[in-house]
Amino acid sequence: MNSLMYDTYTIFWRELKRYKKSRSGVLIRLIQPAIWIIVVGNIFSGTQPLIQSVGFDGEYIEFMAPGVIILTAIFTSIFGGVNTLWDRRYGFMNKALTSPISRSAIALGKMSAISLIAAMQASLILGIALAIGVNFPNPIMIAPIMAIVILFSLGFSGISVMVAATAKSQETFWGMINFLGMPLFMLSPALFPLELLPNWLAVIAKLNPVTYTVLLVRELMTGVSEGGIPILLSLGILFAFVLVMIGLASYVFTREVNKPF
Amino acid sequence: MYSIETKSLTKSFGDVIAVNDISFSVNSGEIFGFLGPNGAGKSTTMMILTTLLKPTSGQALISEFDVMGNAKKVRERIGYVQQETTVDEYLTGRENLLLQAKLNHIPKNEINSRIDEVLELIELSDKQNDSVVTYSGGMRKRLDIAGGLLHRPKVLFLDEPTVGLDIQTRRKIWEYIKKIHKEFDMTIFLSTHYMEEADNLCDRIGIIDGGIIQVIDSPENMKNAMGNEVISIIMDNTHNRESFLSQLKKIEFVKNINEDGTKLTLFVSNGTQVIPKIFQISSEFKIKINTISLTRPTLDDVFLSYTGHEIRDDDSHFNRKREHAKMKRLRS
Repeated sequence: MNSLMYDTYTIFWRELKRYKKSRSGVLIRLIQPAIWIIVVGNIFSGTQPLIQSVGFDGEYIEFMAPGVIILTAIFTSIFGGVNTLWDRRYGFMNKALTSPISRSAIALGKMSAISLIAAMQASLILGIALAIGVNFPNPIMIAPIMAIVILFSLGFSGISVMVAATAKSQETFWGMINFLGMPLFMLSPALFPLELLPNWLAVIAKLNPVTYTVLLVRELMTGVSEGGIPILLSLGILFAFVLVMIGLASYVFTREVNKPF
Repeated sequence: MYSIETKSLTKSFGDVIAVNDISFSVNSGEIFGFLGPNGAGKSTTMMILTTLLKPTSGQALISEFDVMGNAKKVRERIGYVQQETTVDEYLTGRENLLLQAKLNHIPKNEINSRIDEVLELIELSDKQNDSVVTYSGGMRKRLDIAGGLLHRPKVLFLDEPTVGLDIQTRRKIWEYIKKIHKEFDMTIFLSTHYMEEADNLCDRIGIIDGGIIQVIDSPENMKNAMGNEVISIIMDNTHNRESFLSQLKKIEFVKNINEDGTKLTLFVSNGTQVIPKIFQISSEFKIKINTISLTRPTLDDVFLSYTGHEIRDDDSHFNRKREHAKMKRLRS
């Protein structure tokens, strides 16, 4: 157990070192969520009466800001595993695989690094939201919000690491990731209240871990709870999701990297 | 005790047999080289020995631990330097070694002194805090090799350690390998398709071709077994070649002849006396000889005599799929 932690930290350290040296990507990756929050937030400002009808009395942009924070977390973490493919192509993976560290530690190290990076990106988006006038009644809430984003990204990066370990090429990876990322975002109350979704969509949305994360962050940011789902239930579902993803990702990753690339 | 031992090791990919029933053993402290062309099965064997590939059948042991049943014990005892340089460009030289140290569980209080020691050895101390992006190909390779021996493995695997490097850099790397071997007294298993490299570094060489080990011996013994001289002839055309050949084989000191179109290679023991006889026979058959040379045998000649073809000095990037396709065609 001790050595699993040490090995996970080794990989985590390596991933963050690499991230730090390739900083130019940080700003580029912020453009898309910034456009979402600035452009989409204003395009739909006319929907205020709709969101008021479900008990939310702020502006639309305040309603959707938590959604865009989660959007940032989703895409940063789901793209984050792509360097697994480079590692396999350029030999780092073989280097790690012939050393005594466990395969799970490689997956977990990558996941924890990705989740931290996702949280940093999300915090920058939170900053943009505040800068353009989103109201944030209780700044202390920033700590639990970040904790939730880290947790959520840890689970979500598992998807990325699994797909990257399974895919043999960049094309397969990006195909799978685009197929998964957008629907998971859209099928959640990130942009629109759960109560206003057609029934069948609401049912699907309730199977989506993104939904509970958005509800949690929105409640912490705005103080409005939505859809009658208690905080503890959302937290429980989020924890369960993360644990399942950690287990699944370690298993799939170990199985896949033992096959010749 | 052997450092490396394989028993009937076989690896096939689909219906292509990459490594075919090979058995060999490497003594502790030896530098052992696999010599063969691209696609001969060198890298595949090395990947089995380093626990990256599972053999289809047979057994491989590193310091008496099975690579399949006891993979973790094997991984604790080996260093593996891959054919491609695998150092992380974004990190500095020192950070790369630090990563390697952590991956190999070097005790915390020894990490820094070990890194200083190998940096000294490969003469990169002054560049240790520069990003690897700024390193030349030879420096990267040195750093890669340093990473492989940082944890003082019992067996160090070097897969084509100098492929793609210029000749000066290549010689420099050989010096480092010799230095490492002397300093740490480890067993080194290397693969190469450079004759000179095998000749220069290895205590013993296994010539591998088409997944089969053709011969294992020291470079000296191999060359001596060839007869002490080699005569190479290039004929103008292949007219009357067969009768010419059969007469040449009858010359007293000729041990073996290799033929390839208009090129003939004769392994002989008394060259100066053979050459006049060759001219005599060629004039009988009205064969025009363009060039003739008499040399000491090289490993190239050894390779030629065991495999029937020359090793191609081919630097093009190794592509396993393409090699398999090629092997398939050759076999059908």
